[in-house]
Amino acid sequence: MMHEQQQTQTQYEPKIVAFLCKWCSSAGSDLAGVSRIQYPAHATPITVMCSGSVSPQYILSAFNKGADGVLVSGCHIGDCHYMEGNYLARRKLYLINEMLQFIGVEPTRFRMSWVSAAEGAKFANIVKDFVEDLRPLGPQDKLKAQHP
Amino acid sequence: MTKKRTGVFVCHCGSNIAATVDVAAVAKAMASEESVVCARDYVYMCSDPGQNAVIQAIKDNQLDSVVVSCCSPNLHEKTFRDNAKSAGLNSFTCEIANIREQCSWVHKDRGQATEKAIRISRSAVRRAGRNLALEPIAVGVTRRVLVVGGGIAGIQASLDLANAGFEVVLVEKNATIGGHMIQLSETFPTLDCSQCILSPKMVEVSRHPKITLMTSSEVEEVSGYIGNFKAKIRSKPMYVDPDKCKICDDCSQVCPVVVPNQYDLGVSARRAIYIPYAQAIPASYTLDEASCLGLNPVVCGKCKDVCEAGAIDYDVQPRTVIEDVGAVVLATGFDLYGQDHLGSYGLGQYEDVLDGLQFERLCSASGPTKGHVLRPSDHKEPKDVVFIQCVGSRDPARHCSYCSKICCMYTAKHARLYKHHVPDGRAYVFYIDIRSGGKGYEEFVQRTMEDDGTLYLRGRVSSIYEDNGKIRVFGNDTLSGQNVEIEADMVVLALAMQPSTGTAEIAKILKVGRDKDGFLAEAHPKLRPVESVTAGIFLAGAAQGPKDIPETVSQASAAAAKVIMLLSQPQLTHSPMVARVRSRLCTGCEMCVDACPYDAIRLENGKAVVNDVLCEGCGTCSATCVRAAIEVKNATPLQMQEMIGAVLNF
Amino acid sequence: MINPQDLCTRARDLLASGEVRAVVGYRRGSRGMAAEPVVITKPEEAASLVWDPSCVHNLALYLVADRKRLAHLHQTPGKPIAIVAKGCDARALVVLMQENYFKREEVYILGVSCESTGVWDDQKLMQRLGCDSQSLTGGRFDGDDFVVTTATGEQRISAPECMADRCLECRHPFPTMNNVVLGEEKARTLAAPFAALSRFEEATGTQPARWAFWQRQFERCIRCFACRSVCPMCYCEECIVDSITFTVALDTTAAEKANRVRWIQRSATRSENIGYHMTRALHLAGRCIDCGECERVCPVHIPLRLLNNKLEKESREKFGYEPGVSIEIASLVSSFRDDDPNDFIR
Repeated sequence: MMHEQQQTQTQYEPKIVAFLCKWCSSAGSDLAGVSRIQYPAHATPITVMCSGSVSPQYILSAFNKGADGVLVSGCHIGDCHYMEGNYLARRKLYLINEMLQFIGVEPTRFRMSWVSAAEGAKFANIVKDFVEDLRPLGPQDKLKAQHP
Repeated sequence: MTKKRTGVFVCHCGSNIAATVDVAAVAKAMASEESVVCARDYVYMCSDPGQNAVIQAIKDNQLDSVVVSCCSPNLHEKTFRDNAKSAGLNSFTCEIANIREQCSWVHKDRGQATEKAIRISRSAVRRAGRNLALEPIAVGVTRRVLVVGGGIAGIQASLDLANAGFEVVLVEKNATIGGHMIQLSETFPTLDCSQCILSPKMVEVSRHPKITLMTSSEVEEVSGYIGNFKAKIRSKPMYVDPDKCKICDDCSQVCPVVVPNQYDLGVSARRAIYIPYAQAIPASYTLDEASCLGLNPVVCGKCKDVCEAGAIDYDVQPRTVIEDVGAVVLATGFDLYGQDHLGSYGLGQYEDVLDGLQFERLCSASGPTKGHVLRPSDHKEPKDVVFIQCVGSRDPARHCSYCSKICCMYTAKHARLYKHHVPDGRAYVFYIDIRSGGKGYEEFVQRTMEDDGTLYLRGRVSSIYEDNGKIRVFGNDTLSGQNVEIEADMVVLALAMQPSTGTAEIAKILKVGRDKDGFLAEAHPKLRPVESVTAGIFLAGAAQGPKDIPETVSQASAAAAKVIMLLSQPQLTHSPMVARVRSRLCTGCEMCVDACPYDAIRLENGKAVVNDVLCEGCGTCSATCVRAAIEVKNATPLQMQEMIGAVLNF
Repeated sequence: MINPQDLCTRARDLLASGEVRAVVGYRRGSRGMAAEPVVITKPEEAASLVWDPSCVHNLALYLVADRKRLAHLHQTPGKPIAIVAKGCDARALVVLMQENYFKREEVYILGVSCESTGVWDDQKLMQRLGCDSQSLTGGRFDGDDFVVTTATGEQRISAPECMADRCLECRHPFPTMNNVVLGEEKARTLAAPFAALSRFEEATGTQPARWAFWQRQFERCIRCFACRSVCPMCYCEECIVDSITFTVALDTTAAEKANRVRWIQRSATRSENIGYHMTRALHLAGRCIDCGECERVCPVHIPLRLLNNKLEKESREKFGYEPGVSIEIASLVSSFRDDDPNDFIR
């Protein structure tokens, strides 16, 4: 905790949880690696089988545990390895995105993208942009767990 | 519950990881995790000594789970899982933390990269801490194959499979097999007769004891899973018994109905009772129910009266059969990009504007003109013929964005065939580029230009209209920069290839994906080109993308080889990372049933039940259930929650 | 207009004929003009049933309670239960049937049309009359009005003045799914759909204003779970965001107990309250039929309808999905359309 406080005093480094589907977005981030495309280290990937498996609960949980931003990335529409998972993800995550904004959470905090296995550069850019967009907002404390 | 004993092994990958990530710091950080009893780093974990060290550590520390922080799981997950297994652990207790592709290779700041590698590794440790020991699910195999589509792709795949000893059910929508290839006159680059090389294969199909041929049939439903599909196939009645039909043509002589012959693409006519062409397989006349004056009740009945063999029966009913198969090869082929899209080229409007397949029929000895190139309007020999390439292809704004690949070659072939038929005629070709990659292809095009004196004009055609018995073609020769106007007797369009009608439907029935252009999608564009994304379903021929005959045959044989590989296994295994229902919490609301892309969940006594073999473990059910009553083994919400916590130092 | 006596007669006949094993309806409460839910099983009890503007409760909840009770006793439902259902209550039943919680034949729907009005809202009564329903001695529907009896005598008030917001905004005041229905189906527009939500969205246009508002609301929540208890859709055996509901059965293993996911802490702090209310709203997406009971029972007056309405509105506008209209369709989050919104995705 002490370590973190010191960090916020110097420069604020946003913490991002990135849920990447195994077949497209995680493979796309692998490609970014193979191509040695550099991007900020603020987003930590959690590989899931399909974007459709990302429950809105995971996103709330990430914010509750102090994430400054949450990214969910899946296959492009029509390319889902499981055919329909990303369609179902899109609908569910549309709803949570609306809900977060409705209660006044900054729209920048939650982001969704379609990144194919061939889009290493796109993945790198998405992370880069996300970090830049989050920096001016400062730490996310609206949903972060409070310890009474 | 006994405490977990996890070992963490951090790989340097030479300097690939170690140059950016402080691997020793990662190992040290992991050692402080509650479940970790041993954590170490090594220069090449995947090397023989590296793997042996892991085995030794598993034994020395009585580890029950392993995390390897290394490269992408796509590369070495199997390696390390097999390794863990050889040390006596269940392979599913091994997790990979990707700290190379997703970390060391994409960051330069050593401090930040190390921190991130720790977060990634820690989340893998937490996940491993709750992994269950799972065994692959064994599944039986039905050693029969369904091949859909009786063109050259389906024929080749069927023959390869049947000759390897597997039973094949070949389903063809039309009354005969042969597909588009049998309509062709000659084939590039050797100009051998298409029917001469295909007919023997068709006959072999019809006589092969291992092949059940079902023409005029369509696949209606497919259920099941790899190794165990059930296909429901519906056959339209032919009304003529192929075993009795003597192909005497008496019936056709008396039939009063005349309709365009689809086999000749409408260039010729046929009767309602007809044989598609002389070499048709099955070799029999067939009654086209749609154009017949009436079968129920019988309106005319002349053909039956005249048939001495008694082969005609008006009372035959459609028949539906269920076939058990272990694999499916989809070879549903292509259609030409329809004329309804291409009004500006006068196709369908002017009689002497033809598409490539119609021109093939004009050149063919079995065609409506017995192999003489005569223009349809007045049956005169055309002296000026314009061939236009890329009609509908490479035109993202208006038509198809892709290259149809075979048109450059077949246009060159058409020009040559024309010149061979009409030596004093003039052939013009409008083209964008010439794409002639392939054995002997470039030489073929050169011969068309040089030996046969075809005039190639680089440019698009701007307009076509009929004028006084001629077809005026306006275009631009971009090489000379001049406008070109040709008074042609005939125009032949090299239409784009598109997936055949019904491709969308069969894709839906079989739950295989399609690409943006509607062609069947391969599982991987390079490494799995003949597999669909759905296990046990393979692709062959132009249904997967535009391709010529040699490529189609290669792909069909490749698909057959893949099927043989699959069906030669004594039993199949299926990933055990499948959904599991927490029955007590399930209320039977069916949301997971609706959400499952594989129909793997059904209700039984008001509770969801997962078919382990159908389930692919995508987890969509789990994210849909509001009651947390369904989860995927080893990717449970609890594991996700702990991973999220690990990532956020929570 | 409905004659409440008809309702009593119907209920009596249903019980007398043995067609149903019970009737869930409303009767006069112990204080003033506040109705209370009642379950009657004898024909002679039917005379106690009432139908007036104080029949605010969503009685579908009592069917859920009955189903749970039977499940715990390992009994099968047997004969159907009849339920007095307004338009909203009937929609709740549709959702419950869509989710297979009931079979259609297990419920006898004694529909009551709200016709041109709806039920009243105690706070609005208080504002209009200076007293709430418990202080009234009479109250009934009369066309577009409510006729109430206060200490000073009978009084006619225009119904929309005192109607609950959700009734003003209601698009389906007629219980389309029914076995029998009293009253007529009347076309009416008293307020635009989602009017209260639109007012709120306009008033708090900016993100900081939204947050300032909701921060206050969520800090107030005491996590009494009244909203959950009153909701007919919250029928889960365990609430995934409330570990106290985790049940322990004879066959619950130690591993199962240890493996329960505790998504949020039990402390009633803002962050955990948000977790609870967000989860509840998302779990009700495509299922909430806007009976407004959660908001009515909230002891600290959190405007919970706004949360549910927000998702209902989005679902309707973006996904063309309306809850409670069909038993047959797949639910909101287990279905999709090719043209679902995609522009929020990069």
